Amino acid sequence: MLGLIKKDFLMIKSNFKTLAIIFVVYAVMAFQGQMDLSFILPFMSVMIMISTFSYEEFNKWNAYACTLPNGRENTVKAKYISTILMIVIVTFIVTITTFLITYTKDNTINYESILSTMLGTFFATVLLQSFMYPAIYKLGVEKARIGIFVVVFGLGIIGALVSKIYDLKKVLALLKPLENYVIFIIPIFMIVMLYISYTISKKTNLKKEF
Amino acid sequence: MGFIGENGAGKTTTIKAILDIIKEFSGDIKIFGLDVKKEMSKVQENIGVVLDDMFFPEILTPNDLNTVMKGIYKNWDSNLYFKYLQEFSLPKDKQIKILSKGMRKKLEIIVSLSHHPKFLILDEPTSGLDPIARNDVIKIFQDFIENGECSIFFSSHITTDLEHIADYITFINNGEIVLSKTCDELLNDYAVVKCTEKEFKMIDKNDYMKYLKTNHEYECLIENKKTFKIKYKITTIDNASLESIMLIMIKGEK
Repeated sequence: MLGLIKKDFLMIKSNFKTLAIIFVVYAVMAFQGQMDLSFILPFMSVMIMISTFSYEEFNKWNAYACTLPNGRENTVKAKYISTILMIVIVTFIVTITTFLITYTKDNTINYESILSTMLGTFFATVLLQSFMYPAIYKLGVEKARIGIFVVVFGLGIIGALVSKIYDLKKVLALLKPLENYVIFIIPIFMIVMLYISYTISKKTNLKKEF
Repeated sequence: MGFIGENGAGKTTTIKAILDIIKEFSGDIKIFGLDVKKEMSKVQENIGVVLDDMFFPEILTPNDLNTVMKGIYKNWDSNLYFKYLQEFSLPKDKQIKILSKGMRKKLEIIVSLSHHPKFLILDEPTSGLDPIARNDVIKIFQDFIENGECSIFFSSHITTDLEHIADYITFINNGEIVLSKTCDELLNDYAVVKCTEKEFKMIDKNDYMKYLKTNHEYECLIENKKTFKIKYKITTIDNASLESIMLIMIKGEK
């Protein structure tokens, strides 16, 4: 399986230079206070990992992967691990950079604010991965992208309609007591979400024909 | 074993079923005595595969493939892999998308061999190769089966390749086995009788498998050359090639 994880990183190695340039540009902009560095790079890193699915689909790698030792299961496992690794590495780099920028500019660091932003970013990217990957395994990259767009758009409309009928502030107020536990709830929620997502993806890939 | 049949006969589908790439099929498939539907993971470490389509991500290089495969197969042999790359004059650092179709096929074959598999399953491995490269590949396959412990299941349209390497030939048409014999039996006992209409009418229907009517003559595929020669005085009896067997069995009539 280690080979499959390495494969994902080797496939995106040509993107590292682009990612580094974007990182520098955004870091400069963040230093000037024009841009928040926290979200864009981790989000882009997930999108880059999703692009590996396109390469694999185009080159019919998936059929061949079935013939490798434990191929059907390991390809899914490796894809989840490499994406999480990518998110962790990029989020870590972004967090350190944000610390440095904040410290250089203001000579003080608001640890709580930075860490909560990073946790939020990590949560958002894992959420994206958790929804996208089962859809990709089921529908393929292109259809999954459209499918996710339709779902997000649909949820947006439903949310807007619901907010007209009910006062969402009241609903959010109900969650207020949980605020102090967010630092624990979010990681647990992420793990559960990833586990469910991985299980669905694995089951889909185990049954899939190529 | 050589696996032959016309386009759409079901060769690739059979290979995909053997390899667990497709799931919906009836019957059982066993490799090394193990049921592929239940115990494929135990089989996969010991098989090498070449599929009909190119399957490596094009942005990887042969060097990258070594890194990847080293982490996949327990018995991956980097030295052997690079030895083969050198033998076939394949570049290590060029992206696969830059390689020609023939070079890609060679790379696939090299990867399929470099973890010391016991069984190769190859779907059209020599298609797209020039005669020199085909000859090199066939030689590698011959070396592979030489010790008697390793086997190859090999589908191909290039039947002459199979004549060089296969001990057995299985011929399928419309998903069904038409014949499965040793290659020696097919090439030594089978024959194509070329005769006039008058001669053809004298041949008992049970003495030929199928016949093909061409513009000037009849071509009959017979199963036993010696017996036929004793029974009939037709002089034009050619040894059958796999190609002629395929052609008459598919296009011929009974």
